[in-house]
Amino acid sequence: MSAPSIPNLLSLRGSGGRRGGRRGRGGHDSSASPSSPGQDATIQGTDTDAALSRLSAVEMGYLDDPFAWLFAPRPAPPVRRLPIINRGTYTRTTAIDAVVSHFLASTTTTPPTQRQIISLGAGTDTRALRLLASAQHPHLTYHELDFPLIASRKLLSLRGAPPALVSPVLTLPPHPSPGTTSWTATSPSTPTSTLHCHGLDLRALRPSDPLPPGVDPALPTLLISECCLCYLLPGDAWAAVAHFSSRVRDLGAVLYEPVRPDDSFGQMMVANLAARGIRMPTLDVFRTPGDQEERLRGVGFDEVRQMTVDAVWERWVGAEEKERVDGLEGLDEVEEWLLLAGHYIVVWGWRGRRMALPSG
Amino acid sequence: MGDLDSAIAQLRACRPIPEAQVREICHKARELLVEEGNVVTVTAPVTICGDIHGQFHDLMELFRVGGDVPDTNYLFMGDFVDRGFYSLESFLLLLCLKVRYPDRMTLIRGNHESRQITMVYGFYDECMRKYGSANVWRYCCDVFDYLALGAIVLGSSYTDTSGPESARTSEEVEVEVCNANKQIMSQFRRDPSRGPRARSGATAAATTNGVDGAGATTNTGPPGSGASGSSGGSIGNPAGAVLCVHGGLSPLIETVDKIRLLDRKQEVPHEGAMCDLLWSDPDEIDGWGLSPRGAGFLFGADIVKQFNHKNDLSLIARAHQLVMEGFKEMFDARIVTVWSAPNYCYRCGNVAAFLELSDDDSGMGIFARSNGDVGRSDGGGSRGVLTENDAPMGGPFRRYRVFQAAAQDARGMPAKKPVADYFL
Repeated sequence: MSAPSIPNLLSLRGSGGRRGGRRGRGGHDSSASPSSPGQDATIQGTDTDAALSRLSAVEMGYLDDPFAWLFAPRPAPPVRRLPIINRGTYTRTTAIDAVVSHFLASTTTTPPTQRQIISLGAGTDTRALRLLASAQHPHLTYHELDFPLIASRKLLSLRGAPPALVSPVLTLPPHPSPGTTSWTATSPSTPTSTLHCHGLDLRALRPSDPLPPGVDPALPTLLISECCLCYLLPGDAWAAVAHFSSRVRDLGAVLYEPVRPDDSFGQMMVANLAARGIRMPTLDVFRTPGDQEERLRGVGFDEVRQMTVDAVWERWVGAEEKERVDGLEGLDEVEEWLLLAGHYIVVWGWRGRRMALPSG
Repeated sequence: MGDLDSAIAQLRACRPIPEAQVREICHKARELLVEEGNVVTVTAPVTICGDIHGQFHDLMELFRVGGDVPDTNYLFMGDFVDRGFYSLESFLLLLCLKVRYPDRMTLIRGNHESRQITMVYGFYDECMRKYGSANVWRYCCDVFDYLALGAIVLGSSYTDTSGPESARTSEEVEVEVCNANKQIMSQFRRDPSRGPRARSGATAAATTNGVDGAGATTNTGPPGSGASGSSGGSIGNPAGAVLCVHGGLSPLIETVDKIRLLDRKQEVPHEGAMCDLLWSDPDEIDGWGLSPRGAGFLFGADIVKQFNHKNDLSLIARAHQLVMEGFKEMFDARIVTVWSAPNYCYRCGNVAAFLELSDDDSGMGIFARSNGDVGRSDGGGSRGVLTENDAPMGGPFRRYRVFQAAAQDARGMPAKKPVADYFL
């Protein structure tokens, strides 16, 4: 129920660069896939949805993200989301940003040592670009894992973007690495920081498979899944995490997912998403916040925390910032916000002495 | 009337009417509404409804369950537009019915009946989409400015007086919850030991048997309270008046008469008494509190108790807040939230409800209580704080009808598949 049209940057842009619309979560490998290509496209479409939501939140002033418009589909249906969705986009982004900041602060050492972030099903996420653009985070290796198609399209998008926006942040390769859809780019200002974009199928990752190129199990590592693993079958989702957790000792993970499918709102959520062809198999297994905590403990994290998105807004957004955000559009329905935001959870866990995540 | 009836027929089929006709109807509606006071007087029986939010098919379901206009006397407490896909058809149908049957349809203003809010929450975009210009939106907004701010329901009965006498609910029952098939789901008896008021809220009654449950349960008050079997409210006496308002109370408004003095014919202001009436919420606090909505206030049980006492009110009915069970009584049944948009935003999974008040048929006359509607001698201000002995008589007999979202495909109306947004 987004308001259909307000003018925005996208409608003012000329042609050039790639046409958007195909990007995704997980990976597509027809031989290993239990899902149909149609369903994969639907799941990839959720990333387009997220990209448009991000753009809406940026255009309305919730988030500051100069890269948001790079990955929105073109020609774009300019989208303005309702305030409740904008606030949700803002809050989940803020939550994961906070976990990432804590991780980066805890791994900033003297002398400096390398650390890495691995984003599963990163799709069109801009977090890596934002981190590298800030130039505040040297010695950071950022890995994004997604469908081969998505990885190569991301490179095309970046190559088609205005050089003034991208070239200070990343020195892009002309093409993906030979024989793959993966590519690597380095920050010109902080050469110790790099972005690796891996075109691979998350569903095909098994604990014993070799780690993706460039992933170093000796580094303090943060694993991010922002609404990605929920689209995988529970076994695949477990294996994708175990692929890293079985090798990396100093490891943290932060997941953002829907939760509570059993109350009347949750039942309607599952039904509405199913009507759009979107299934979230892990939601059947991890139904409550407690289930999500157990899930991360089961992977071997010593410290596990969770907060639903309404609680993130309540506890992690400061009074002044709340006032700023509330002033942007005003949220008319508090009850609806509590319902909707109460059905999304941020859960995080960590282990090892060389890193830490927020304790609550 | 011919044109109006054809417009009603077209809108009932969920089809927009031509711009010129909208203009004409809005003009007529304004002529009608300008004659209404800020607080409209309505006499029971009346069916009181909460937010609709452009959920046209659910509004049709409401009429199916509650009875059609003009057979049933309706009072809608605002928020006709925004969020749903058929704000235009929903509001215009209600407005046409208002013009056609002015004495059987009362519309009061909600916080979404505002230019600024409809720009953000969908009604403006819907008008642009359906007409290609903002004219219709402008006509409607001009009507919004003339909507009353509240209503006083007089003459409602302590007991069920609806239908044939043999079919009426026992006089000991204060609250009855029915499903859409008119089956009783639960009942709450009056507490004779403390007068009718003592019964605590009937919240979540709808969930006790499930919406489609047929079995009725009778809930009695606290232990021992049902011993005498005689109701504190004498049979047939008119209950105190019921104030209907979209949001709630304002720290600037101590009496209903003060509402009557406001200049309402304007866009909803960002603050002040008029804003508060449309934006405030009751909450479990003492006194007044800041609203998380950024407009209006939160108000506690003590505020409601004093206000109702001072104004001779037995109940405040309001809307404005989503309640999953469709209605929620608070503060010893001194205030109720009524919510009439089932599966709100096609996403929330809630049921909806409306409130039926019976008319008093005791022959005592509906103006037995003045309710601040006509010259009160004591100005309502001389009674001081409520004491135990001074406890109010208790609320009118209240029947809540709970209903679910309409099955759109079955109704032969255009049913665009709603797509609800989630955080993906």
